[in-house]
Amino acid sequence: MAVGVAARPTVPRADTAPAVEATGLGRRYGEVWALEEASFRLERGQFLTVLGPSGSGKSTLLKLIAGFERPDRGHVRLFGAEVDAVPPHRRPIGMVFQRLALFPHMTAAGNVAFPLEMRRFDPREIPARVERFLKLVRLEGLGGRRPHELSGGQQQRVAIARALVFEPELLLLDEPLASLDVRLKEEMQLEFRRIQRELGVTTINVTHDQREALVLSDRVIVMAGGRILQEGDPETVWRDPAHPFVARFLGVGTMLRGRAEAGPVLRIGERLLPGRAPNPATAPRPGQPAVAALRAERVRIAPADGADGDGTRLAERLAGRVEDAVFEGERVLYELSVPELAGLRLRAIDRDPGGHARYRPGAPVSVQWSPDDLLLFDASLETGSDP
Amino acid sequence: MRQLPLAGGVALALLLLLAAPSLVVAGASLTAGGIVQFPPEGLSLRWYGRVLEAREVRDAFLRSLEVATVCTALAVPSGTLAAIALARWRFRAALAIQLYLLLPFTVPLIGSGIGLMLLFGELGLLGRVWPVGIACCVINLPFMIWAVAASVNALDPELERAAASCGAGPVQTFLLVTLPAVAPGILAGALVMFVLALNEFLVSLLLVDARTVTLPVQIYTQIRAVITPDLAAVSTVYVLVAAAAVLLLDRLVGLEIFLRSR
Repeated sequence: MAVGVAARPTVPRADTAPAVEATGLGRRYGEVWALEEASFRLERGQFLTVLGPSGSGKSTLLKLIAGFERPDRGHVRLFGAEVDAVPPHRRPIGMVFQRLALFPHMTAAGNVAFPLEMRRFDPREIPARVERFLKLVRLEGLGGRRPHELSGGQQQRVAIARALVFEPELLLLDEPLASLDVRLKEEMQLEFRRIQRELGVTTINVTHDQREALVLSDRVIVMAGGRILQEGDPETVWRDPAHPFVARFLGVGTMLRGRAEAGPVLRIGERLLPGRAPNPATAPRPGQPAVAALRAERVRIAPADGADGDGTRLAERLAGRVEDAVFEGERVLYELSVPELAGLRLRAIDRDPGGHARYRPGAPVSVQWSPDDLLLFDASLETGSDP
Repeated sequence: MRQLPLAGGVALALLLLLAAPSLVVAGASLTAGGIVQFPPEGLSLRWYGRVLEAREVRDAFLRSLEVATVCTALAVPSGTLAAIALARWRFRAALAIQLYLLLPFTVPLIGSGIGLMLLFGELGLLGRVWPVGIACCVINLPFMIWAVAASVNALDPELERAAASCGAGPVQTFLLVTLPAVAPGILAGALVMFVLALNEFLVSLLLVDARTVTLPVQIYTQIRAVITPDLAAVSTVYVLVAAAAVLLLDRLVGLEIFLRSR
């Protein structure tokens, strides 16, 4: 796709440098550090999602990259050039805002043309380019409408076209999907992915929706309490959360608390549960309090007197009781109590339709899981960064 | 309404009471007789004809238009910038300006009028028309600021960031995004300022002389001489102008802008 003749490079560039490089970024509001020591690199063409709850510092990080705020510590480099002194309107960045922020007094086409006019594209080239981008977001023929005459999804598309029309080198998405209903949200997620791949634009998406992060991204950063807890590709972050908070935020069913023993093993009362520490930096030290994450969909339930399912190495079986069974259509969510683990409640998900409603509340069952699925962490991490 | 005939009746009575002065003066202006009375004696438009012919009334009306124009021309830029600054930034003079916004409710017009009379007297501006416009602007500017502030407060702050991300510098953002977005408030404020200045009586009375009377002062002077139905006709024209301004406002920006102001 040809870049407009007058699309002046706003930042001098070194062609091999990463798209975004943050080093030790910090931002303070009064006495509180909203963002502490954030460092990461994003290669060109990649889609990064910054995932975290509200107050985790993810929006602050985005504002620093966009240039709306200045860092109190550290630096941002875009395409190899330091941009600390570059105001937002001179950065090569397109942005889709949380509340979209379409200009209400302009038509859809006027909104999309605005960045081209501001960035001094050849006026003769503008109408065709606007048309092309309206088509890209599937809004052909609606360019003459005002924002309030468009549906929520259509407004979303105008905002995307406006952010992309001047072919920015970096696209920032500030939770633009947060207010949509589930169906529209999933549709727009696929739309983002399609457009991002079509244009190959480096993208940073900020969200608190873990599903969105996994669906869209090449890279994921998980934040809490103003710090980056983990960075990696979606599968790694999902499989090997480096921090108990990451495990919990990505929807692990149950957190178990006890003491660590070498192995690593989690001791709860007299019971020893072998597990695995996904990250040496956050592994519990033997003899110290430990916390373990157990994914609900990896917990297997069998009749109390039945045999094991298959031949994989399983932890010892534990006797449990069904406390609640919630039918959710494609799956059943069980809440189980395990007397041997100090009455611990744990969650299990059964996706086998044949097994649905096999266990009623009150039924005795045996519970088992693989040591690979019991992820052990140093328990002191939990208090420090809990949002 | 059917369940509450009493409430409906009371509401109707109140509405009539509110409209009564306008209805009476309009009725009286249509009389065919020679004295102001209600109900009118016969129907005719002859007093409107008289108003059109009367030179002093026409000249006074033109002077009032000049006052209103000067007032509006001053109020739009100053009120708009003040309102945006007040809504957006914390600064030292903010408290003083907030207090100033309350003045129309607390200081009687005669007080500010006398102050202005002394000031303009010192400056040698008494007896001219355009200084009355400045006076009206000074006194009524809070209404302008309120109208614009309502628009600014309803403005999404992300809008200006969006403009920056589109490549617009601060000046372009202000001219192309902020101003158009608050335009309804500016328009509403301008109309209000215009009508208030057109109607302004007390301050004009203190600042003008016999050769430069504005329309309200002209009406007052005539009442002190003989009360004829042409005064009712002029008053009716006033009511119609005010009604037209309100209708225009509603058509252009909607009246809810005043309900939103704080």
